[in-house]
Amino acid sequence: MTWTDEELVARSISGDANSFNELILRWERPIYALAYRTIGREEEARDVCQETFLRAFRALPGFRGQAKFSSWLYRIALNLCRDWIRRERRTPVVQPPEDVDLMELAAAAEPSESVEELVSRKDLARAVERAMAALPEEQRTAIVLKEYHGLTFQEIAELVGCPLSTVKTRLYQGLTVLRRELAKNPNAPKAPVFIRGNDRD
Amino acid sequence: MTEMACGYAGDRDDAMIAYLYDDGDPAARAGFEAHLAACARCRTEVDALRGVRRQLARWAPPEVNFTVESLTSGVGSDEAATSHQSPATGHRAWWHEIPAWAQVAAALLVLGVSAGVANLDVRYDGNGLSVRTGWATPAPVAARAAQNSEAAAPWRAELTALEQRLRGEIRAVPASAPAPVDVSVPARAAQSSDADLLRRVRALLDESEKRQQRELALRVGEVLRDVNAARQADLRTIDRNVNDMQNRLGVEVLKQRENLNMLMRVSQRQ
Repeated sequence: MTWTDEELVARSISGDANSFNELILRWERPIYALAYRTIGREEEARDVCQETFLRAFRALPGFRGQAKFSSWLYRIALNLCRDWIRRERRTPVVQPPEDVDLMELAAAAEPSESVEELVSRKDLARAVERAMAALPEEQRTAIVLKEYHGLTFQEIAELVGCPLSTVKTRLYQGLTVLRRELAKNPNAPKAPVFIRGNDRD
Repeated sequence: MTEMACGYAGDRDDAMIAYLYDDGDPAARAGFEAHLAACARCRTEVDALRGVRRQLARWAPPEVNFTVESLTSGVGSDEAATSHQSPATGHRAWWHEIPAWAQVAAALLVLGVSAGVANLDVRYDGNGLSVRTGWATPAPVAARAAQNSEAAAPWRAELTALEQRLRGEIRAVPASAPAPVDVSVPARAAQSSDADLLRRVRALLDESEKRQQRELALRVGEVLRDVNAARQADLRTIDRNVNDMQNRLGVEVLKQRENLNMLMRVSQRQ
């Protein structure tokens, strides 16, 4: 039998140890993905993921179910990401290796086809990372929650605590900045590809 | 370049985002769709933003092998402070640490212990199937054991009935030996009942075997699933490492190529 999140939460509160394990198994990947795309560092994203569940476990007896459990987890994770960004005071999204400028490499005058192919394989993902780094934190959060976690506008608004229209504005402005930044990447895909809507799947 | 004019009546950006993500009022969506048919500027922008979304889909976080044990251990380490039951005691933590062979051995052990509890001694030898009951022990002890175990499993009741029948048969035999009753040895007086007993014991054994096979299949399935998951994770790691190496190699090759080109140009000038 598959329990809902809310049922597992209730069982965890009443002392069923396995139920909280089940919640971790269910949500660790989405939370890690959210943390990684927000702060852009693998190790730190793992730390945030672990800390999120730790805090959730501590606060579980006080969870009254006023929001969905997943929204509650997302809020904890986003707060931790925000704390991390403020503490580190540095550009939050992943940077390419310091000794290699892949954008310059891809735009080099006479690269052979094979080298270009090799480089372009990784180039687009890095270009997206760079473009995301150019976004203000609130726009990046809105895009990450919408694009990669499939949340509705309303859910995002409740999660980040702003009006629904603000969420749409942040998304529009964020996508517009990304469009401009990604246009600098010569290896942008021309053919349509499948759009993944939700990491939870 | 002159920018095309857009005469959309409402909040254009808001409507465009709602249309792009298909998240909003269907009537408003239909309205914006109608506008798109007439507005080249909005069409262009929607196409461009769709392209951005396609590129965003290419960005995946690196694969991570989550160790739930470490996460739950972390939670468990705070247990003393919060005096809350720790999920570190969950079944997954210890279950995955037991090797497959040990799980199979445990299943067999459970079967053996069950047979032992039921006072059954099953042997295959040159004489074929031989089943010995342990009811040569003094009757009161055997009776107490049967009483204690009766409620434990449904087959206990059947065994108890067998015990009663065997006791009756033993009493009926004039030279009632203190040795255990050997079911495989034909006794003239109870030939037909022996065959019946043997049939029942065989049925019990068949049932046990089936249960054991089901358990074994379950364990093997779990092991295969774990091995597969580990294999997939390893393959992804290898692929990532190979890609990184190829990238570095590609950079080196390009640098070499540029150096050669420069040398060629210098030598051509000379």
